[in-house]
Amino acid sequence: MPPPAGPHVPGPAGTEASLIARAQDGDVSAFERLSGAYAGRLFMLLLRLLGDRSEAEDVAQEVMLRAWQAITGFRGQSSYFTWLYRIALNEANRALEKRARRPAGVPIGADELQLPASAAHEPTRQAEISELRQALGQALAQLPPALRTAIVLRDVEGFSTQEAAEIAGVSQAAFKSRLHQARLRVRAAIGDEVLVTTGG
Amino acid sequence: MGEPGRSADHQWSQEHLSHYVEGELRPRARRRLDRHARDCADCGRGLRAMRDLLHALRGLDALAGTAAPATIFDRVRLAGPGGAASSQNA
Repeated sequence: MPPPAGPHVPGPAGTEASLIARAQDGDVSAFERLSGAYAGRLFMLLLRLLGDRSEAEDVAQEVMLRAWQAITGFRGQSSYFTWLYRIALNEANRALEKRARRPAGVPIGADELQLPASAAHEPTRQAEISELRQALGQALAQLPPALRTAIVLRDVEGFSTQEAAEIAGVSQAAFKSRLHQARLRVRAAIGDEVLVTTGG
Repeated sequence: MGEPGRSADHQWSQEHLSHYVEGELRPRARRRLDRHARDCADCGRGLRAMRDLLHALRGLDALAGTAAPATIFDRVRLAGPGGAASSQNA
């Protein structure tokens, strides 16, 4: 299944570079085409990090605006995709910080992160998988943002450690440390019995 | 901080299950964990649990088919062509 990191813009080689150049010249439609290729994936990242659809939609708009405002400063030192994802992470963290300053509300994440179980599974199995996914959503939602980011980028999105560390803006060593902590916490939150019975 | 009767290998193994499944352990460390997990039901199960956790997390990626909202470029369109040049410090 995973992971299309790196550029995904369809079309001939050089298309992305030309779209970037046009966007840097103020061409909104080029920017939309360029960033639109990543919009679905970026929105899913926000949804996973924020756990709330309407907030993810709001932040996604803000991410695109920030990217548009900063596009002339894009120098191609990383891929456009990595650059855009980094903006998304910053905006998601900003939203989470704002949320942390608000009074506590409903726990985030569980419902938004759930998936319908595959129809190929028997009903009992479907229920187990659905419960596991709900538990995963809750466990992810309880993680501090830096740990949640690490496990979402590496284990859910399927980025390599190098790509994920670059997007998160930390060294690979720091990223791995966060990832291992996150996995240990999620494993502890769900419990080995549930994982071994339901997983695999 | 280990519980009574739990060896240093046990504590170490529990802390390195993620490193193991990530393939980050050097051969000697990997053999150490392998040896311990063969005789320790907790760590054997922990290893399976860690693998199953990664499998389950990867399963969430099926959400990737979800489309971005149609409104995603609304603020860009509102900012217009001048938007890119006007806020360099974003």
